Amino acid sequence: MEHWLEWARGPLFRASFAIMILGLLRVLVLQAISLFGLIRQAKRNQRKIPYAVVAKASLRWLIPVGKLFERRAVFSLTSVLFHICIIVVPILLGAHILLWERGIGLSWPAISMQLADILTLGAIVTGLALFVIRLSVMANRAISRAQDYVWPLLIVLPFLSGYLAMHPAINPFSYEASMLIHVLSANLIFLLLPFSKLSHMALFPATQLVSELGWFLKPDSAQKVMTTLHKENEAI
Amino acid sequence: MKAQAKYSYHVEAVDGQERPRRFLEAFAAILEHSNYGPVLEHYTRVSAKCSRCTASCQVYEASGDPRDIPCHRTELLLKVYRRYFTLAGQLKARLYDYYTLTDAHIDEMAEEFWRCTACRRCKLSCPMGIDHGMVAHLARWVMSEIDIVPKALLVSVREQLEGKSKNTSAIPVAAIKDTLEFLEEELEEVFPDQKIKFPVDVEGAKYVFFPAVSDYLMEADTLMGNAAMMHAIDASWTVGTQNLDGIDYGLFYSDRMWERIIKAQLAEIKRLGGQVMLIGECGHASRSAREGMQNFIAPEDRVPVVNIMELAHEKFRQGKLKLKPDVIEERTTYHDPCNIARTGWIVEQPRVLLRHICKDFVEMDSHGVNGICCGGGGGTVSIDEIHEFRMMIGGKTKAEQIRKTGAHYVVTPCANCKKQVDEIIKAHKLPTNRVGLHDLLIKAIDFS
Repeated sequence: MEHWLEWARGPLFRASFAIMILGLLRVLVLQAISLFGLIRQAKRNQRKIPYAVVAKASLRWLIPVGKLFERRAVFSLTSVLFHICIIVVPILLGAHILLWERGIGLSWPAISMQLADILTLGAIVTGLALFVIRLSVMANRAISRAQDYVWPLLIVLPFLSGYLAMHPAINPFSYEASMLIHVLSANLIFLLLPFSKLSHMALFPATQLVSELGWFLKPDSAQKVMTTLHKENEAI
Repeated sequence: MKAQAKYSYHVEAVDGQERPRRFLEAFAAILEHSNYGPVLEHYTRVSAKCSRCTASCQVYEASGDPRDIPCHRTELLLKVYRRYFTLAGQLKARLYDYYTLTDAHIDEMAEEFWRCTACRRCKLSCPMGIDHGMVAHLARWVMSEIDIVPKALLVSVREQLEGKSKNTSAIPVAAIKDTLEFLEEELEEVFPDQKIKFPVDVEGAKYVFFPAVSDYLMEADTLMGNAAMMHAIDASWTVGTQNLDGIDYGLFYSDRMWERIIKAQLAEIKRLGGQVMLIGECGHASRSAREGMQNFIAPEDRVPVVNIMELAHEKFRQGKLKLKPDVIEERTTYHDPCNIARTGWIVEQPRVLLRHICKDFVEMDSHGVNGICCGGGGGTVSIDEIHEFRMMIGGKTKAEQIRKTGAHYVVTPCANCKKQVDEIIKAHKLPTNRVGLHDLLIKAIDFS
């Protein structure tokens, strides 16, 4: 078991983390290339891009306080808490920072163990709640794909196993077993992240800009479509 | 497989053969030449299927039908995009029996994308900012290239671009001139000292006026209000007889038609030597002209596009349009046409005027940028076959909103919304009268 754990924490983690970073960089670079293209085109056509509107909308969604109780309040609140928990704990947990320090010599301030415990429980509860909402609300079911059900459960797994590993008194499994599940499930998330809807974590900042620029049509696009489809002489 | 589908709207289709192949060809051509590719690429990656949009769509709220969920509808097109235009989709298709575009899927799109009113309210509640209205616009464009387009819209565009009258309602120019003369006489009776005119084909006039052509048929009060306001501010304006229709259904279903229509309208402005394209009380005409001008016309040839309510507001603020306060005693409310309000473009301007001239102006519970569509948006109001759907599903929330205000007047400054709200009032037996903004302004103009 210990060998497996070492392998999962060492080479497997490095590989999955690298794939996540490179994968996210890939989608970011692709997005940047297309966005720069669209912006250049807009400038060439002397169009004004409403950056203020875009920035305002992006900020409103980054700090969605005003959006919480506007629509689907229970779902929105659960989702926001879920996001806070799953972002804060992995990055600011003391034990994780220690690993980073050992590995690459970098460290940053940690949150207290009590807060980490609360947020971990928060991630588990809200993650399961999101799964239940998806399963029980008809509108959610109607638009859910298989991966939409799997993601909340998969994300809860490292939090649950990590919590159990840190609390031997309530842990029915051995420390090594919980830790192995913890590390393996986290690695799986890293590995799949850039190829799934979770890539929104990197693409989110520009999402409002994309929707705005989408309506900036290419001046000659309609003409070219007509030629390609051989409809030049076609009556309406 | 059916050769030709039957939809809840009439389609003038000629060729029902090989539709999936033709759909993909059209989709590929559009993706190759337009800017929609990067947008779809982004949407396929970030769409989290959170379902927040369900609470902001008035169609879904009334129907409770999952196919009316904006994200459900958008996924129909994203699925095709993912399968045929992404590497992952092509790989998956090679590895296993992934997904193939079928006739049935096209039928589903044909039905669902025309149940959307393209009001774009759902964009405001999408954390990822997905513009489902844009996806509906694109999907309709692709479908129109394989002849799936509501006949009502198609024949209008055909008449506007290839017909004799050059307007969507096929009204002969002579009839329009008669109408204008008649309206001038009416105005003379009400304002004998003023000599309010509808200038026709005046070369060199600053504003060339494009109301929705339906105003000439059905909105005499709005048109008279428009002329009275232009007279009061002493504007140099004209109606051009070779192209006078502000309607541009291209915005609803095809960039190709959108471009052709705005170019024909601009040609009329150039013929008359006008400087500004003045749009009447119409939401989609305003947006299609303003965005169309930027999208399809070279910078040096563009002219500014102004909605007549913007102009009235500007002149009122400058003190050039004098309005008597509190002339309208009955309770009045205002309906925001989505195409001018959703982006915040025209929200406050008409309200400033209404608050001044109305004693009892009230707002609907959700209004302005967040306003609720009348249920006839996106071209659906022109489709008479779906009247029942527009009344009982699309327009249900609007009817409740209007009823709640207890207003005597609902000001509806858009040709599409006007038709829909009229029908809603009848269908839901509302004790409200639908008017245009200028129908009320004319009662308050102080010509002294």
